[in-house]
Amino acid sequence: MKPLNELTIAEARELLDKGEITSRALTEACLTQIRSLDGALHAFLEVYEKDALEAADRSDERRTQDDGTMGRNPLDGIPVAIKDNMLLQGKPCTAGSKILQGYTAAYDSTAVRKLIESGAVILGRTNMDEFAMGSSTEHSAYGPTKHPRDPERVPGGSSGGSAVAVASNMCLGSLGSDTGGSIRQPASLCGVVGLKPTYGRVSRYGLMAMASSLDQIGPFAKSAEDAATILEVIQGQDANDQTTSDAEPFQHSTFNIQHSSDLKGLKIGLPKQAWKSGGIEDRVREKTEEAVAELAKAGAELVEIDLPYADEALAVYYILMPCEVSANLSRFDGMRYGLRKQGLPLFETYAQSRAEGFGDEVMRRILLGTFALSSGYIDAYYVRAKKVQTLIRQAYEKAFKEVDLIVTPTTPTTAFKLGEKLDDPVAMYLEDVFTVSINVAGVPAISMPCQDDGGMPVGIQLISSWFEEAKLLSVAKILESQLKTKN
Amino acid sequence: MKLSKEEVAHLAKLARLDLPDDKLEKMTKDFGAILEYVDRIQKVDVEGVAPFTMPAKSEGWRPDQAFEVDEVTRELIMANFPERAGDLLAAPGVFSARGGSALGGETPKK
Repeated sequence: MKPLNELTIAEARELLDKGEITSRALTEACLTQIRSLDGALHAFLEVYEKDALEAADRSDERRTQDDGTMGRNPLDGIPVAIKDNMLLQGKPCTAGSKILQGYTAAYDSTAVRKLIESGAVILGRTNMDEFAMGSSTEHSAYGPTKHPRDPERVPGGSSGGSAVAVASNMCLGSLGSDTGGSIRQPASLCGVVGLKPTYGRVSRYGLMAMASSLDQIGPFAKSAEDAATILEVIQGQDANDQTTSDAEPFQHSTFNIQHSSDLKGLKIGLPKQAWKSGGIEDRVREKTEEAVAELAKAGAELVEIDLPYADEALAVYYILMPCEVSANLSRFDGMRYGLRKQGLPLFETYAQSRAEGFGDEVMRRILLGTFALSSGYIDAYYVRAKKVQTLIRQAYEKAFKEVDLIVTPTTPTTAFKLGEKLDDPVAMYLEDVFTVSINVAGVPAISMPCQDDGGMPVGIQLISSWFEEAKLLSVAKILESQLKTKN
Repeated sequence: MKLSKEEVAHLAKLARLDLPDDKLEKMTKDFGAILEYVDRIQKVDVEGVAPFTMPAKSEGWRPDQAFEVDEVTRELIMANFPERAGDLLAAPGVFSARGGSALGGETPKK
């Protein structure tokens, strides 16, 4: 048997339920892996060793006591990690920022509460770009996370820690958050599965808000199956988050009924704006085109489509997101929590606490949002961007009338070197050129690893229409097995 | 669209960010590059297009409800206060020119 921390959730579930392994052994294997590797990789900001082992023991106890009436709880006893922007009551939570150093979460986020209620073992909180702003995890106030295959390279961001934790087998799954690609891009760079559900699928209650109309929590996993397992647990309408939807929940038991072995009858759209783009690295183009060929081999029909406004989506995102950021981060003012510079008059307390506590990227985006919302500029920037957002959503609506799924590379590059893009904000923003329109539209998307030659990982992005995660994940699962048999 | 350093300084004041001069310089420079990129939306024809808004989910408002917060949560909230006086949050006076709160206190140790 392979080392326990290398198991997938599905494999671990079977062994746990048969009594062949314990959650304690599984958790200990993950903790050992963290001890071996995390000094170098810095995926975790804090490891909850004692709490995790206690949760593992309780899980094992449940299985020992089970008289056959215990319901199916797919994550019971499974070690997972959570990003440092999801509240877990009683634990420090900093969003990778110094402004919240010393802050203790007062309540549980809904998504984490659902993990705990399903019996998952929370191993710790993972590193991230400060307030989820970044594509490399270099903007964490607590130091960068390194790429597991090459520690001189970035893992992507902003959920870099959660991606690395899964990629390096420190856990069996993790949660990240995605506002413009912060799950999919690090998943692509690190070679793991990363899913951003439809906006409204998963509650944002207890997720430190970046851009409230774009943020969504989602899983990192080693397989499409595992991502589906986690999605089923964390999803759901929540009275505490009025933006959650009452759409039909995603069902793990039936998601791959339509496409269980091949993709016959499936129409896949390849947007020319993405595929004809000049900025795609050769390796990314080669591997993603091979993956597309595998989709065709499995029976899918490939169609080139026109996805208008795809070229403007990044600009729309870098106006709308900073606007919401400037509003959401105004709560960090030194009053009720976080860093407060003492002994100053009110205005100076605000201005100096914030300037000292926030990093440069955060301040850059707050200023950008303040500008785009300010009198004299709001019509030309915020309102205009909202109009182009309408056009982008209409473009997706129209595209999904013609095709079932849209496929693009997840990112234009593989993992770049630490420091390479730090001096040029726009170069960093361009990392997200294929991921942001998905958030602007609110549709779900998944990044699947599409190489296995031992080189730097490449991700391919599958996009479906709103609330069609079942279609998305079933195709992802087939692509996965196609790629395995190809190698 | 290019902003001057003074315009960026004004934005910093609006955003309550006390930026030292060197950061202000860098922000102004970065702004130039970013605005140059996002300005491409000016070329999109948005004639007759409505700004996107999420569809309303309900008609009107639900009645106000008061919830008791449990003791654990309440303690955690208060433990996060940068300055505390019993169960009260101490803060600088809104109209006070003098610095600090009426307590003249320090951040309590946790």
